[in-house]
Amino acid sequence: MNPLLLGPLVVALISSILALIISITDRIVNDYGEVTIDINGGKKVLTVKGGSPLLGTLAFQNIFVPSACGGRGSCGACKVQVLSDVGPHLPTELPYMNPEEVARNVRLSCQVKVKQNIAIELPEALFNVRKFKTTVERLRNVTYDIKEVYLRLSDEAIAAGGISFTPGQYAQLVVPPYGDLKESIQRAYSMSSTPQDKEHIELLVRLVPGGIATTWVHQYLKEGDTVEVVGPFGEFGVRDTDAVMVFVAGGSGMAPFKSMLNHMAQTGQWTNREIWYFFGARSKRDMFYLDEMADLATRFPNFHFVPALSEPKPEDEWNGPVGLITNVLDSYFKEKISKDKPMEGYLCGSPGMIDACVKVMTANGIGQDKIYFDKFA
Amino acid sequence: MKMNFDERSAYEKMKSGVLTSTGFLGHDTRPLTDIIAADEELFKALGLDFDQVADRLQELAARGAEGLGEPITVDGLYLVKSDEARGRLPCPYGDGLYHKNSVSVERGDDRIIYSDLSLHLLRVHHFCQGQGSPFRLDPVVLKRICF
Repeated sequence: MNPLLLGPLVVALISSILALIISITDRIVNDYGEVTIDINGGKKVLTVKGGSPLLGTLAFQNIFVPSACGGRGSCGACKVQVLSDVGPHLPTELPYMNPEEVARNVRLSCQVKVKQNIAIELPEALFNVRKFKTTVERLRNVTYDIKEVYLRLSDEAIAAGGISFTPGQYAQLVVPPYGDLKESIQRAYSMSSTPQDKEHIELLVRLVPGGIATTWVHQYLKEGDTVEVVGPFGEFGVRDTDAVMVFVAGGSGMAPFKSMLNHMAQTGQWTNREIWYFFGARSKRDMFYLDEMADLATRFPNFHFVPALSEPKPEDEWNGPVGLITNVLDSYFKEKISKDKPMEGYLCGSPGMIDACVKVMTANGIGQDKIYFDKFA
Repeated sequence: MKMNFDERSAYEKMKSGVLTSTGFLGHDTRPLTDIIAADEELFKALGLDFDQVADRLQELAARGAEGLGEPITVDGLYLVKSDEARGRLPCPYGDGLYHKNSVSVERGDDRIIYSDLSLHLLRVHHFCQGQGSPFRLDPVVLKRICF
């Protein structure tokens, strides 16, 4: 045989044998067989094939723990309390944990491998979380940087009852690999649709420079595309009291309040409660749903919508309140909102916006424990 | 200039689609060490100091945060918009975890976008990001914007 060919052939043969040995060894050494995952003290016991990360193993069993990075250990969202011994925290987990979480053996479920029987604690609400296949029915620009994404659930999902959620909850949009993104990731968005519409999910997505998901939604997603959504998640929602409700939002923070208010319109729930909704934007081009909110205010006398612009342009011909939403909120507390009844605050937005609004609300008589929010971070 | 193990590891994480969609390198094909060395030279030539610039950008970010998510005019010169998203981003060098945010600062025709992580990369690692990265803090533009 030609010696020029013999060399590469021998190398290829040795490589193949080594690969075979590695593959066989891997199957023997890493074969953990069947193991059980005990959830919430025996409330659910899953028998699964061992060896994979807990996050993926649970997802395979249709239990979806919130995660934004697709299991790469870079978001810190998929925390689960592990009650059995699965070894010490990994260096990849510790940056996301505070000392109290470390002491309780809270773990990143994407970093913990299921190699033996384990026991974990999960919020029971996660048992209702499902993964939905949807189709983009409508994409609409509500401002220059916010898109309304209207998704129709698959026929199978609709036949199985569609989506059930409470207004204020969020869903995770599964972003498939695109461009340079090599692995799927998930991002959370509050649902702006109502629970009455079990066949659809609506999200409001604001473009964030460099954002993986928002860039995909704004530049790649088209009507007719298939999209996966996981949800519902979250505990943000209207409390069952008679208190006056004070909503504050800006930008895509509109989403949960749109859901709550349309739910009110469709069911008559909360119509006996006074609701003040403060919505902040810089100029008129950042403002949206003005007509829809004005219509609700006309139909429901207890609902008061207060849109405010921080820096209106002359061409906006704006006659409404001007100033940062916190200043407008403060002046309404002092001059217009009756303090005869107890009040509750509901906020959706950036941590900075929420912190600023909490200060104004507490200074005007709303107890810290009566302020509910959905922080973006 | 050759990259050591840590720099190579950071470089891999800076590629697009690993930590962020666009990554930190843009269309720059130079090794990480060369990108940093070139910008350090430019900083020196322009009379800029990394800490001083990072302080100024941090101050503008704080002023922009007063807009509560909406763009706000600062000092009558700058239009600053501060956005925050859910989740956190680790530094590619592995020395910190930062809230996902973006601050856009416009002054005249110049515009830069940066995040808490960008400021850390600038201040600690002297990394202004590669040419073509949307979050690149070009020294020449920084001088026009900051001073």
